[in-house]
Amino acid sequence: MSSVPVRILAVEDDERIRTVVRMALEDEGFVVTEAEDARTALARFEEQPFDVALVDIMLPDLDGLELCRLLRRASDIPIVIVTARADSHDAVAGLEAGADDYVRKPFVVKELSARIRALLRRIQRPTIEASNEQPTVYRIGSVEVHASAGVVLRDGVEVTLTRTEFLLLCELARHRGMVLSRETLLERVWGYEYCGEGRLVDSHVRRLRAKIESDPARPSLLVTVRGLGYKLQA
Amino acid sequence: VTGLRFRAILAFGLGALLLSSTVGVLTYLFAERYLVGQREASLQREAFVHARLVREEALRSQRPAQTLESLERAPDSTILVASTGEWIASSVGIGPDDLPRALRRAAREGVVAHQRFELRGQPSYAIGIPIPAVSSVYFEVFDLDELERSLGILRASLLGAAAIATLLGALVGLWASRRVLRPVADVALAAEMVGSGNLHTRLEPINDRDLDRVITSFNGMVDVLEQRIERDERFVSDVSHELRSPLTTLSAAADVMQAQRTELSTRGQLAFDLLAEEVERFGRTLEDLLQLSLSGTEAEPVQLTPVELGTLVDRAVAAAGTHVCVMVDSTAAAPTLVDERRMERAVANLVDNARRHAGGVVAASVRLRGDQLQIVIDDAGPGVPTAERDRIFERFARGAATRRDRSSSGGGLGLALVQEDVRLHGGRVWVEDAPGSTGARFVIEVPWRPA
Repeated sequence: MSSVPVRILAVEDDERIRTVVRMALEDEGFVVTEAEDARTALARFEEQPFDVALVDIMLPDLDGLELCRLLRRASDIPIVIVTARADSHDAVAGLEAGADDYVRKPFVVKELSARIRALLRRIQRPTIEASNEQPTVYRIGSVEVHASAGVVLRDGVEVTLTRTEFLLLCELARHRGMVLSRETLLERVWGYEYCGEGRLVDSHVRRLRAKIESDPARPSLLVTVRGLGYKLQA
Repeated sequence: VTGLRFRAILAFGLGALLLSSTVGVLTYLFAERYLVGQREASLQREAFVHARLVREEALRSQRPAQTLESLERAPDSTILVASTGEWIASSVGIGPDDLPRALRRAAREGVVAHQRFELRGQPSYAIGIPIPAVSSVYFEVFDLDELERSLGILRASLLGAAAIATLLGALVGLWASRRVLRPVADVALAAEMVGSGNLHTRLEPINDRDLDRVITSFNGMVDVLEQRIERDERFVSDVSHELRSPLTTLSAAADVMQAQRTELSTRGQLAFDLLAEEVERFGRTLEDLLQLSLSGTEAEPVQLTPVELGTLVDRAVAAAGTHVCVMVDSTAAAPTLVDERRMERAVANLVDNARRHAGGVVAASVRLRGDQLQIVIDDAGPGVPTAERDRIFERFARGAATRRDRSSSGGGLGLALVQEDVRLHGGRVWVEDAPGSTGARFVIEVPWRPA
């Protein structure tokens, strides 16, 4: 990673925060492009590729959540949302809008950069595994997971998953019939040790169900094991 | 037994008892007077008829004794005739000594007399009629048992009626108080709902002049309460944003400066360290303060999910970089219903507190005590003096030991937040001496709700 600098798009309306966060992230070895509002962010995004987007929820022109949705539609780069609210409302809404993780102001830059690195690390993993492992296909009911090809079919039709959703599904598929705790999933899918929250997993499971279950309200494939975690039915 | 309903039942019951017993007593007195009067009059008529027959017979035969046999008399009467010191009686059961003395004297003095009296425990009625023509005195004694029995039945029925009336009165009282109390119960239910956080609860207006005011003022009160809580929440949210933004700048700026710290002079480095430390402490205090003010509001409702507490404590202890084995009682190992985030935060705050003030956690356990689950955290510090054991859970309170050494202290809100989180579970938290060491033992106790 040291050879190829990681490019971050930082969307934040407060100029002082933007400046100092850029400086701090640059100290951590990232290349940071600033955007003061959603329009600028989308324009920058058109101009050049980014590895990670850092999106503040409160933006002057467009809701940060809406920007998340637009970015998510255009690509599957990791999105980290930044919220200033004390309650968890924004965080949950952000994850529902397609973000991979969230940080709360005031954040410690060291922790933020650790999370960004973890998110990026696991992006490289599927390709590594693809070269090491035999091509693997998991069949769960009407859902087919082509792990190495990065394709998921439901009733023969391709389902579009974000990278996080795909990794979550692969992790569960690899251990079919076994219960995986939220902590285990945070560690294996997000690459976090003791710094993420369980709701990060819950939000993604909910979105994954909406895409692979025939009745997301009564999941038959990806089930919750009360008090323990999640399990993909064998 | 001091409730409004009880008092209404008592009042209605007593009222009915008073009314029915007054009516009963009056009815009885009138009925008794009437019945006794009637009976006495008819007995008197009968006695006069008999006395006349005795007189005529005596005049004719000069011997009154035989006539008694021929008199048609009721089976419950006894006739005694005294003539010149000689007594003849129609039955052997009753003699002249059984007659009331006053009656005998009056009759002998030539006055017709009658008297009610008790004859061997039997209510009786005696009439004395002087018959001067044959210098005799005619006495007749009537057994009043039948009348007494009738009066007894009357008494019993009136008593029964009074009892039934009292019972009915009490039932009416119950019914009336229910009716009166129903709106009060509605208000109580609504107040409970508001109390449990449902601020949209309002009372339905009802067409009742007496209760309208209660309902209007209750709804008005909840309106004000709701507005105030909304305002508070908005205020917290605004403060949150207004303080978090500059704090983010400060914190990130400190991070940037940290990288250049070595380029500063010694004085500059000292100043920077103080600055960075205070920024971090400020951030932590703000976070705790906001969590504390949001606690229990609609923004952060309590969500109970099944959680293995052993795993949760393990995680919280490990997150602080401490390595102790968490002892879990086998009975307490099963998942239990708690708000996972709050409970984890509470345990993490205790662990953090131990790390800051008491050399870290040395032992942790989860155990079941009766129907309460306990999470026990022991530290290696100097312990908490008895006098401070309640105070340390207050906001911004610090133990005497930590007050001297502010740099090592947290925001002063950690333990208050623990108490709040535990309180929302319906539990409590306290500190005691750790057994076998000088350290403190913090105990979180929550009701055991097996999943």
